[in-house]
Amino acid sequence: MKKSVCLLVTVFVLCILAFLVSCTKDKTEPNPTEGLTKLSEGYAIGAAAKVEVYTKETSLITGYTKFYIALYDSVSGKRIDDAHIQLNPMMDMGMMQHSAPFENPASTEAVNHLFPCSVTFIMSSMGGTWTLDIDVHNHVNDKEGSITLPLTIAEPTASRQKSFTAVHNGAKYFISLISPTASTSKVGINDMEIAIYKKASMMSWPADSSLSVVLTPEMPTMGHGSPNNVNPVHTGNGHYKGKVNFTMTGLWRLNLDFMSGTAVADTTQFFDVTF
Amino acid sequence: MKQITLLLILSSSLSVFSQNNVALMSDDSSRSIELREIQVISKERTDRQRMLHFYRANQSASLEDILSRLPELSLIRRGTYGMEPSIRSLSGGQINVLVDGMRIHGACTDKMDPATIYIEPVNLEQLQLQTGSQGFVYGSATGGTVNLITASPVCHPDQKLHGLISSGFQTAAKSLHEALQLNYNTGNWSILGSATWRKSDTYRSGGGEKIAFSQYEKLNYSLAASYQLNQHTRIKADYIGDNGWNIGYPALPMDVGYAVARIGSLGIQHTAAGKRLYKWQAKLYANQVRHYMDDTHRPNVPIHMDMPGRSMTAGFTAEGAMRINRKQQLRLVADASTTRLTASMTMYEAGQPPMYMLTWPDNRKDQYGAGISWTCQADSNWLLQSALRLDYIHTGLTTQAAKDHISILGVTDAARNELLKNLSFTGTRKLNDRLKASASVAYAERMPTATELYGFYLFNAQDGYDYLGNPGLLPEQSLQGEISLQTNGKKARLKFTAFYNHIRHFISGSVNQSFSTMTIGANGVKNFSALPFANLAGLESSLLYKPIAAIDIVSTLRYTNGKDNTGDPLPMIAPLKNTSTVRYQFSHFFLQLETEAASAQTEISGKYGEDKTNGYLLLHARSGCQFLLAGKKTDLQLGVENIFDKSYHEHLDWGNIKRPGRNGYLMIRLSF
Repeated sequence: MKKSVCLLVTVFVLCILAFLVSCTKDKTEPNPTEGLTKLSEGYAIGAAAKVEVYTKETSLITGYTKFYIALYDSVSGKRIDDAHIQLNPMMDMGMMQHSAPFENPASTEAVNHLFPCSVTFIMSSMGGTWTLDIDVHNHVNDKEGSITLPLTIAEPTASRQKSFTAVHNGAKYFISLISPTASTSKVGINDMEIAIYKKASMMSWPADSSLSVVLTPEMPTMGHGSPNNVNPVHTGNGHYKGKVNFTMTGLWRLNLDFMSGTAVADTTQFFDVTF
Repeated sequence: MKQITLLLILSSSLSVFSQNNVALMSDDSSRSIELREIQVISKERTDRQRMLHFYRANQSASLEDILSRLPELSLIRRGTYGMEPSIRSLSGGQINVLVDGMRIHGACTDKMDPATIYIEPVNLEQLQLQTGSQGFVYGSATGGTVNLITASPVCHPDQKLHGLISSGFQTAAKSLHEALQLNYNTGNWSILGSATWRKSDTYRSGGGEKIAFSQYEKLNYSLAASYQLNQHTRIKADYIGDNGWNIGYPALPMDVGYAVARIGSLGIQHTAAGKRLYKWQAKLYANQVRHYMDDTHRPNVPIHMDMPGRSMTAGFTAEGAMRINRKQQLRLVADASTTRLTASMTMYEAGQPPMYMLTWPDNRKDQYGAGISWTCQADSNWLLQSALRLDYIHTGLTTQAAKDHISILGVTDAARNELLKNLSFTGTRKLNDRLKASASVAYAERMPTATELYGFYLFNAQDGYDYLGNPGLLPEQSLQGEISLQTNGKKARLKFTAFYNHIRHFISGSVNQSFSTMTIGANGVKNFSALPFANLAGLESSLLYKPIAAIDIVSTLRYTNGKDNTGDPLPMIAPLKNTSTVRYQFSHFFLQLETEAASAQTEISGKYGEDKTNGYLLLHARSGCQFLLAGKKTDLQLGVENIFDKSYHEHLDWGNIKRPGRNGYLMIRLSF
């Protein structure tokens, strides 16, 4: 009697184990680029690396654009997860050239096999030609090389990129709306994130942390705002985070006032979000 | 044995009184089964029932006409249709408005659809109105309970099919009112069906002004079937459908495109005269109300919007009457219900995506309650009564979208669990053969409503503010007392009542300067918040006088005064009002003269955008006769209301919209 119980329990436990094992086996590693769109690919000559560039959006528009770079050994096809990547965006307007704000990958270690980085396109391809240089220092073979990708940047109907000449110091600031977007917005509390860059020269666009931001959302159609918003505050690398509350769907205007201490930098900027 | 002891401990008879009342009432109608139920409540119903019966004799009267003549009741008016009952100046979530004991939650965020609109007078068997010490037995409430008891099918052994058909016309609104009622019985089955159709044009007010957006049209139909299982038990199924459309609300910025209610129940009723538990009934019910507001007919609408709302309620009620001994009697009530509400608003602007928000973020309320009412005829002079009710209530938001909406108000958890407690004591003393005095004291609580907890930018057209719910509101707590003196002469019955109601955590709106309005043109935003307290005090008196057999005089007088904690008047308090009626009945004819008089209301709440209301005096004349038409009993009534074509409005009328002017009516009813 006892024996048969023991046997049953053993069989039961084994069954569960088998089930668990089969479960884990079923869990194939998720594709790191799931949900992303491959924008471009090519070879970083000299680094023996194939470069694939992904974005969350299906097409590129002006403003803060997050890129996800995947590197592969150009011969074996193996992923390269240790590399130093340096971006260099460039706008060629014929008569002149200028760069744009960008963020290199924060680490030489890939995050889930991808190197996240960003470029803030301050204008569309209407005014010239955008290219993005990606310099790769492949730490696997200690070789360096680069690739230049041509990019087409469109101007969206609701701009996510604005600039102003500050009243207090005459400097030109570029502001990008990172979130909310039309697809992430909901009636309720929304994360608000903007990035602020200062134009130091045609080739230098450092992140700014000196400004403070006052957020006033409104519905221009209805003429009302929303309560309990949180002004974006600087969290690092020119990124400012706050909360914006939408009380209904529709067109919302996020009015932004920029201050430098008590001095007004600008009070004319806004972003429109429609959802 | 254990059971009996427990019940004794819980407390303990109406027998003497109720039987008296049965005797008093049974001559009123053959439907004594239903009437008897009311008698369990208390002696004071008698006068009220007499009054109801008296006013119901005017067959062109709507339920609202009847309600408004009771001294305890006032009606808050936003349109011709769907007036909201207010018991001693308390309304909405402060009172229970029940249909056959069923809870029905309106689906309109603007309270355009109180449950009273689903019952037509042809289908109304009785109206229970309980105030003060008994007002909470059917549900925790600080103001009282209105329970509309619908007609039950009756068994006529010699008449398989009987019924009535009636048709009426009123001149002020060129309105038609057609009703049909059929009662069929065979064997143990009896079935009652009724249908009422009303169509009303915009009415003319005193002086001849047309009141725009005062029209409405509705169809109400009901079917009740009962099966007599045995001598003591019957099973009853009820269904009420109500469709209203093109309903104008002159005092609101929007009308109602259509409103649909579906109300169903299945119940069992048991009577066993000799048993200790001599009567009990139980019922399962469900109802759904859908309500669509519409502004497409309004001129100069800044932005077109749709505002649909839906409520669904399902529940259970059980009630029993029990005799403990010759002196003591108990009434036991147990019920549970769940209500789900949702309402939204979508605004449309050309070239833009629609603007959508939840005005009642999806929410539910689950309620479990039990009440007990004990009556003891201590001796021939003393009657003691006590009532107790407990309610456990859970409310919460049901969808992520609803939670996201409310999160904007800084609320992370909007769910609430409350145990509501209600307790009362009443002592009635017979001073002599003609004079009776009674005093009662009660403590009652009520749950904040879905609007008060979760309302999201609900525009109040009365004060012009957008209201925001407050999920942290405490239950209102009421401490109330009432004394009444009643004389019962052979010819006259006079009753005088004074009441006082001290309400803690009185729910009100407080202006929030930092929030911006949602509604275009609104004055600002108010948050529902609790005042430390508010006080209501009032007097009611009623006189039923029969100087000679042919003449009936009924007169009621009422006055209420309400103050908040700062001494400012409360809003929506009716002024001193008197209604007096003289009816002269000779043979099959009657003539009736009626005056309605209200003093000016100067005790007004500026915070709620109230203004002073002038007093008025109205005169109505009614007449009727009964005769046989093709062998069928026929009633013909005609009359003129507001004979002097007085231009007036009542203080409780939103937007100072004038009431109808001179209104002639003609009504014919054929019973077969």
